[in-house]
Amino acid sequence: MKILIIEDEEGLRESIEEYFTEAGNICETAGSYQNALSKISLYRYDCILLDITLPGGNGLDILKSLKDNNHPDGVLIISAKNSLDDRLEGLNIGADDYLVKPFHLSELKARVSAIIRRKSYNGSNLLVFNEITIDLLAKEVKVDKTPVKFTRKEFALLLYFIANKGKVVSKNAIAEHLWGDGIDMANNFDFIYSHIKNIRKKLMEAGCTDYIQAAYGMGYKFTAQ
Amino acid sequence: MKLLSKYNRVNLITTIIVMLITGIIYYQAISWILTGQKDKNLVVEETEIFDYVKLNGHLPQTFESNDQQITFTPAAPGSVKREFINTEYFERWNKENGHKKHRNRAAGRYESGRGLVSSVTAGGNYYKILIIESKVETEDLIRLIFLITIGVILLLLLVLLITNRLILNRLWQPFYAIMSELRLFNVADTQEIAKVDTSIDEFKELNNAVVDMASRAKLDYKDLKVFTENASHELLTPIAVINSKLDTLIQTENFSDRQSKLLNDLYSAVSRLNRLNQSLLLLVKIENKLLHNREQVNLREMVEEMLMQFEEIFNGKGLNLTHTLDDKEIYASRYLVEILLSNLISNAIRHNNIGGQVSITLTNKSFIIKNTCDDEPLQDKKIFTRFHKSSNSEGSGLGLTISRQICENFGASLEYVFQQHFHVFIVTFN
Repeated sequence: MKILIIEDEEGLRESIEEYFTEAGNICETAGSYQNALSKISLYRYDCILLDITLPGGNGLDILKSLKDNNHPDGVLIISAKNSLDDRLEGLNIGADDYLVKPFHLSELKARVSAIIRRKSYNGSNLLVFNEITIDLLAKEVKVDKTPVKFTRKEFALLLYFIANKGKVVSKNAIAEHLWGDGIDMANNFDFIYSHIKNIRKKLMEAGCTDYIQAAYGMGYKFTAQ
Repeated sequence: MKLLSKYNRVNLITTIIVMLITGIIYYQAISWILTGQKDKNLVVEETEIFDYVKLNGHLPQTFESNDQQITFTPAAPGSVKREFINTEYFERWNKENGHKKHRNRAAGRYESGRGLVSSVTAGGNYYKILIIESKVETEDLIRLIFLITIGVILLLLLVLLITNRLILNRLWQPFYAIMSELRLFNVADTQEIAKVDTSIDEFKELNNAVVDMASRAKLDYKDLKVFTENASHELLTPIAVINSKLDTLIQTENFSDRQSKLLNDLYSAVSRLNRLNQSLLLLVKIENKLLHNREQVNLREMVEEMLMQFEEIFNGKGLNLTHTLDDKEIYASRYLVEILLSNLISNAIRHNNIGGQVSITLTNKSFIIKNTCDDEPLQDKKIFTRFHKSSNSEGSGLGLTISRQICENFGASLEYVFQQHFHVFIVTFN
């Protein structure tokens, strides 16, 4: 996958680049409006992460220029502005998703994966990871053709893990992904543990390898190794 | 008391008092002048008598005129002291007319009169002279003057009342206009205070002062708002960097227990900072009515959805949830209603004891959420103010402020009551 990160804040840009640069992913970065504009006119990307407030111009103009030229690149807006109007404007012009800063990198990765999936699988909604096959439309999980019944949250969690495979995902990020802002009232994340226990149990009962590892009280890691 | 009635009262009382005093002085002055005139006439008469006696050596013949009577009575020599007196004048009816009018020839009437008592010696005899003049004309004159004065007073009062009512009311119109503008004034509004059209300098000044003050207040408010918004936005970038760096850091793995505890604390501090920031931004937006895309929202469905979302958290704290939900549609921003419900439900979970209860009732009129608690009732007045939170709360202290603002935003009210170990929050729809 080829990803362009348009973000003027260097620290954030580096983190995103580092997080996304893994097997098969190529990341390019642009820190200014001009730089970004020249890159999108020369190369095509699977997904573009677009910050709206940029030195030298507005990110929405980059999005407009992409759409005017009928470029098929997926676009995910990342912005500190979260007013509904900004969101709607971005989505109306043709962005695929909108993520408000600050975010967890794992959340960003999951959203980008969803966009790329939608763009590239074109009709087929099957996501395959080794022996696990996930039908995204029917929300069904199969292990070697054996269907496994998952609850809505377990299904979301599994997708989240697969999008971030090989990465340690913090419990905080999982909680925010599944429960949104309301999560701050939880005294501990025990219920995450019980969800993960259920996923593991269901997968293993269907004959699947145990891919989920606990990462030293930090979180969990979904990995094939 | 209204300025107008106060002014009227004072004005009327002073006018009446001044008029009365003037009337009395007037009366006194005129009667003094007229009495002086009478006295002069009496003295002339007296002199005539003296002259007559000196010339002829005997008393003059007395005759009665219309308004004057002279009588001589013998008296002990030297017993009479010369003096002017107020006395009565007996007017006999005129023979021609009186006879017809009154059967009794002796009939007549007493009028007030002015008399001069004097003495004369004629033909060796000492006589007391009494000259009386009728004062009836004088009194008529005074009465007339008095009546005119009263008439003027009454007329003046009437005119004062009418002018006060008509003119003062109109005069104060700009004042009332300014007052009503002030009453409607709201710093968050974009509307300016209207210039009041008046030719009166005081009101012009008042109006200018009010307009100045209002625009200054608005400017300050706007500055503050812009500052809050900018500060929040600027804060978001470093928070985003910290968060992303933490996410990158945990990829390096192999942490000790101590390190992972530190990292977890960092994570929760960052997310708290983030939530505080979002809450502040949200509050600014709600207060400025920047979230205005309203739609028909089915509250029952939303509450059910939210309860499902929070299911694990209810179970995690061993909370017992009971609810009765009727269908209720409201016209509001879905986004804001979601925040409102989430705030109220999470409060009920957060400030609950392990194994406690949460009860939710949704009717056509209200949404009521109750939760058990060990602590005292909350301070009714303070809980809705910014950054007020109970000592053991981990929230931002903005949740209830935001909730109340949201309720006001769609014309509902949010209230708190304490009922025997239950915190109760009631949203009343209009």
